[in-house]
Amino acid sequence: MAQDYTEWLAINVLNEQQLVSYRSLSRALKIHSNLAKQMLYDFHRKQNTKKPRAVHATYLITGTKRKEIPNDGTHSQREGDDTVMQSSPPLPSSSAPKPDEHDEEPIAVQTVMLVKEENVLQAKAKFESITGTHIYSLQAKGLGDLQTLTECNRKIAADYASEDPLEVWKQYGTIQNPKVKRRTQRRQPPPPRAPMVKEAVAKATPAAPTTKPTTLKKESSKDSQDSKLASKPSSAKATPEPAKKPPTTKRQGSDIFKSFAKGKSKAKAAQESQESAGSTPKTAPEDEPMASFSDEDDADEGDVDVVEDVPKVVDGKSKKEREAELQAMMEHEDEVMADAAEVASEQAEGDVNEGAIDKPESQAAEEPKETVQVENGRRRGRRRVMKKKTVKDEDGYLITKEEAAWESFSEYEPAPKKIKVPPTTSMNKSTTAAAGKKGAKPGQGNIMSFFSKK
Amino acid sequence: MAHDPLLTYRTLVTHFTDFLTVAIHTILHERNIYPRTSFLSARKYNYAVRQSRHPKVCEWINDAIAAVETELLKSAVDRVAVVIYTKDLKPTERYMFDVSRFPAVDPTDLDTRLERRGENGDPVPIVPLADMDEQFRATMGKLTGCRGVLKPLPEGCTFTVAIELKSEGQPPVGHPQPWMPVQPELSETSGEKHTRNTVHPVRAVAAGELVFESWIEQAVDAT
Repeated sequence: MAQDYTEWLAINVLNEQQLVSYRSLSRALKIHSNLAKQMLYDFHRKQNTKKPRAVHATYLITGTKRKEIPNDGTHSQREGDDTVMQSSPPLPSSSAPKPDEHDEEPIAVQTVMLVKEENVLQAKAKFESITGTHIYSLQAKGLGDLQTLTECNRKIAADYASEDPLEVWKQYGTIQNPKVKRRTQRRQPPPPRAPMVKEAVAKATPAAPTTKPTTLKKESSKDSQDSKLASKPSSAKATPEPAKKPPTTKRQGSDIFKSFAKGKSKAKAAQESQESAGSTPKTAPEDEPMASFSDEDDADEGDVDVVEDVPKVVDGKSKKEREAELQAMMEHEDEVMADAAEVASEQAEGDVNEGAIDKPESQAAEEPKETVQVENGRRRGRRRVMKKKTVKDEDGYLITKEEAAWESFSEYEPAPKKIKVPPTTSMNKSTTAAAGKKGAKPGQGNIMSFFSKK
Repeated sequence: MAHDPLLTYRTLVTHFTDFLTVAIHTILHERNIYPRTSFLSARKYNYAVRQSRHPKVCEWINDAIAAVETELLKSAVDRVAVVIYTKDLKPTERYMFDVSRFPAVDPTDLDTRLERRGENGDPVPIVPLADMDEQFRATMGKLTGCRGVLKPLPEGCTFTVAIELKSEGQPPVGHPQPWMPVQPELSETSGEKHTRNTVHPVRAVAAGELVFESWIEQAVDAT
């Protein structure tokens, strides 16, 4: 036992040149801290008698400091690089120069000072009375910065995390409060709600500094935004509820970022669709966020405020696409989406009566998407198609929703299925060329076919 | 820290340049290039480090590191050195970081995943970068402890950052030019000076693909 520590210290301090504090020694050898301090002292003395300055030490001095002039304190502090930790406010004499100092009672201040060995004498001189001194740590070469000693404690916490402090305190001599009790946490952490998390993630990733409002609120805000923005390009409609506007203005800022997330293809598509049809036909009440993004592309033309964060947000687009895909798959399970679905379905109902122009266009638009590609004579595998549908609300708001729908084609030149659409409709739709232009390749094919006919 | 699936050459270089920034701040503090009071305590890699508070110093270091990063991304750097000069502009100490073992990557592949393949072409599991922090901590510890090892510096020393390029690369000239070409002075290639240096090893870090060595060279005849 006696020889163990010498060997251990020789290995760690001299050979490996590590910083060893009394705490590390006590944890490593499973001994009491006070014993560890004595071992450190012994080792230090022995090694230095063998070879002077082989081992350096830092000391911990506890006591009451002498009353000193403030200059002295700061001066020596800089010199000796001491860390002075005081347990109570500084002595009153050092703060305000009062003429009647003798009336004040000096407050007893206990000082714990960590000093390098070369500064020990100087530090001791500062103390009026010393209650305790012991070696704090040993190192082979001089200690550069006192704060590197924090590394010892971090290592202890990391290496010995498995030990229960309530059990081993006797062994190590840690200060213990006899009345302390461990509190058991009965409740399990709530299981994460995956859809909500994904929604939040998708909205957070476009790098907009959004606070985390509830998803519901966001969607309601997007509803109003959709209506507001959609009403802009198509002729004047009733203004959206002013109540929803103020809370959404802030989020609009972040949503504008997200509009960039849609990607430039979307922006182009939205713009051209705007010019030609005034509404881009899509479906899926579940995909409100997607829809709002496309609308906000339109808004960007008007606002032209935000030109930042494009590269970051482009990443968000791809995530958003994946997100939309997942959502489409999870539409049944998603509560939030269900709420949105309800809202949207109400709007859809209102739309049927009023938005006569929009509806047939929307339906026509859906199918030509497929036929156009067929005409090109290209082979297509499975692909996901973004469809927009504009529906008119009861109150006259145009709400454009976008849905990612999976379509799988395995077609050669003549498409075996989906030729139910007569060529006239496809002609119709190629006028609204941008709708097809949305997905990059299909869009190009659309236009090319248009020209080829001529 | 980095997750293995996302390990690209660019992230590797970023980790290294972050480490280099902290190392330079530490060296400045340890060798008293700037007054110690102008440094504040910060935390990096779960370790207490010193960071300079002077805005110009920080700006200069950040610019230098950015220039080093540009060269690293071209896989052109052999070694990075932080050189300490005396008032007479004589180099006294060099803190070397040998990065010649970094993977040499095409500029087009900067963002592709790195994967190490064994002799027969099978993918070899990469050593996780989890202990990269630990190795950086150890290196920091060594750097901070260098104060006891090295001779104290004379007053008025200054520092700079130098890179030694691999022989097959193009020198980074052009406009704007962040680097100034200099004669090799304390480097090993100049034979006669070689014997006059004392070398103190610091650390050889090997964390997955991030492999570099670091040591301190001190000119013996420094006055």
